[in-house]
Amino acid sequence: MRKLVQLGACLAIALGAISSASSAEYPAKPIEMIVAFAPGGGTDVAARSIARFMEKHLGSNARIAVINKPGAGGEIGWTALATAQPDGYTIGFINAPAINALVVENKAKFKMDDFQPIANLVYDPGILVVNKNSPYKTLKELIDAAKKAPNSVVIGTSGAAGSSEHIAILNLNRLADVKFNPAFFGGTAPVRQAILGNHIPSATMNLSEALQLVREGEIRILGIMDAERSSYMKDAPTFREQGVDLVAGATRGIAAPKGVPADIVAKLEDAVDKALNDPEYLEAARKAEIPLNFLKANEYKALLDKMTTDLEATWKVTPWR
Amino acid sequence: MIDALVSALPHVLAPANLFAVLLGTVAGLVVGALPGLTVTTGIAILIPLTFGLDPLFALGMMAGMYNGGSYGGAIPAILMRVPGTPASVATILDGYEMTKRGQAAYALQVAVVSGVIGSVLSAISLILFAPPLVKLSLLFGPAEFFWVAVLGLATVSSLLGEDLIKGLIAALIGLAIGTIGQDISTGVERFTFDLLPLADGLDIVVLLTGLFAIPPVMQMIEEALKVGMSGDLLKLRRQGSVLSKWREFMPIWLRSSVIGIVIGILPGAGGSMSCFLAYNDAKRISKNPESFGKGNPEGVAASEAGNGADNAASLIPALTLGIPGSGVAAVILGGLLVHGLRPGPQLFRDHPDVIYGFMLQMLLSAFLLALVGGLAATRIFGQALRLPRIMLAPIIMLFVAVGVYAVNNSMFDLYMLLGIGLVAYVLEKLDYPSAPIVLGVILGPLAESQLRLALTISGGNAVAIASSPISMILIALTLFVLVAPLWRAWQDSRKAATA
Repeated sequence: MRKLVQLGACLAIALGAISSASSAEYPAKPIEMIVAFAPGGGTDVAARSIARFMEKHLGSNARIAVINKPGAGGEIGWTALATAQPDGYTIGFINAPAINALVVENKAKFKMDDFQPIANLVYDPGILVVNKNSPYKTLKELIDAAKKAPNSVVIGTSGAAGSSEHIAILNLNRLADVKFNPAFFGGTAPVRQAILGNHIPSATMNLSEALQLVREGEIRILGIMDAERSSYMKDAPTFREQGVDLVAGATRGIAAPKGVPADIVAKLEDAVDKALNDPEYLEAARKAEIPLNFLKANEYKALLDKMTTDLEATWKVTPWR
Repeated sequence: MIDALVSALPHVLAPANLFAVLLGTVAGLVVGALPGLTVTTGIAILIPLTFGLDPLFALGMMAGMYNGGSYGGAIPAILMRVPGTPASVATILDGYEMTKRGQAAYALQVAVVSGVIGSVLSAISLILFAPPLVKLSLLFGPAEFFWVAVLGLATVSSLLGEDLIKGLIAALIGLAIGTIGQDISTGVERFTFDLLPLADGLDIVVLLTGLFAIPPVMQMIEEALKVGMSGDLLKLRRQGSVLSKWREFMPIWLRSSVIGIVIGILPGAGGSMSCFLAYNDAKRISKNPESFGKGNPEGVAASEAGNGADNAASLIPALTLGIPGSGVAAVILGGLLVHGLRPGPQLFRDHPDVIYGFMLQMLLSAFLLALVGGLAATRIFGQALRLPRIMLAPIIMLFVAVGVYAVNNSMFDLYMLLGIGLVAYVLEKLDYPSAPIVLGVILGPLAESQLRLALTISGGNAVAIASSPISMILIALTLFVLVAPLWRAWQDSRKAATA
């Protein structure tokens, strides 16, 4: 028995030595990239696309394997990421503010501090849209209608209770002192169908999902939930311009478990930066109109921290669950 | 449109692009035939690899994979009672029974021909009628979807089997399973026992595989222990040709294809609903409804034609409005976007070569499927059945376990698979049918969520839910489905009385 313990100790020391030596020639083996959503979803396609270019720019024959761990609105995959070995061989995509919301409502087994942010890739602001035949031409008209008949004007959302879109509607209710009634469609396709078929008076979406429908004149944007107008859609006004200071959107970024050596974080951060600037990737992203928004590890961390603080404030006033 | 088709044709027939369609069809067959690996996954992996390629090469592979995968799912469904994809579940009901009777080759032939006919009709409707069909689909809001689900539940009556009570209990089990998971409107977790993997409800692939694939494996082991090895029940030589009986199959092919196309256009319903509704319809109009579920080739034909017809039709709202009619259509939409092809009328205006080319590729891949699926794949996969049962059982078990694990990379799913399999085995021993369980699981949550949405939108006004013309038509159809058998029974009894 004692021999076994000794052997174990030797092995542990030897393994420790290997892992400390390995950050110099990182990556020495395939890197797992956890995606907390099913294959074919927006996050999955983003992950598989960037993984190819990160491999190229990490060098030394780097391999990245995308592993889908879907379920519970991302919670299963993010728990797996938070509890993985912090050796740099497990990274994953996280989606703020959905992930922060789970932490703030104290549902998740992880805290935001359990993650080491590496880089943000995408920022997609939220928007409020109406059908082309809608009587509401401006945000003010819709808000006035909701003020006249509280709880009767419906806003369709693709999310579930507690999703970032739902939280945006709660914030809108608070900031504009109205009562819009959220209808949860549970997916992007059904809510699009409902707004195009004029079955609901208004809906929330992310800007990138709506660009083409707006250009075709099928739907109108009443407001973008962002500090400034979007370069993709210059004539769409922001909420802020219309007197409601609502800023909400969805991000996609890469994180690792807390405790990954700083030089590995730097390598990964650099690989994302280079991948995002790879001409072949840029061309595909431009064609697909992906709202790229690269943030380095420390900037990304600041954004995540701000989202958590904001959500904590919202949770105190209007809990979403 | 004719001009666009003519000018797209040379691009489609370019050797490289032809090869892409062929490659996609073969890959789709393999992906579809492996449980757990779905066409959605296959195309998702494909997209990043197509970045630098010619759009028609990339789209050709996707078109091939879509049609190939939808038939691929039928192969293990017929041979081993393993649903290769959720959309092949209804094929099991008669297909596996035919295999047990030694008609595996005929069942596969019926499946491939029916699948091809469904896919071809669907592709033609995509090419010819996309704009008017999309207007029709927009008439469906939450209230109308609720009535579609109710209609589907009403047709369950034709699946109940001989023992009405047992069939109804099975349907209720399905409805109960459908309530598991987080309620999206309130966030309340129902019957999840604080288990995170249950928050989204039971995974449909895990459930279907457990329900259908595990009981026959146990049966095989049981029989092998009883009588020792006996395995060559299954002959693969020629067993008649479905083409020579085309007159009998034609009404089923047409009706099932129309059902598949309509369900395909509606988002959120998906292939498993198309195949079941087509199957129920074929059984309802059949002169011998009692022969369904016992190896009637018409059951296989209806399910596969419905399944095949779902494919191209689900692309209609995807291409014209950006609303994917199915999970696969959603991924294909992603694939179009990375090539700068944005859905909408301008897609047809600005890139007619590509978009009409893609539609032609959907048609082409349906024909290639007849070749690849009918000739090669059927023969190759059929060989698996030559194995003695005592060996086949553990091989199927391994095949199913790997497939189910691959869906979510989760051990929990494997435990669920075994648990569901055991329960399903007991239920089968007690003669409870599995099909009503599946329909309950698929339609129950749809009916619930759409009813709540409809009531939220109408401000709690229940009358408003039944006020649109489409709702009224659906309600009338539901009543018809429910009342027609009673009417028939009453007439029969009157005839019997006067005779």
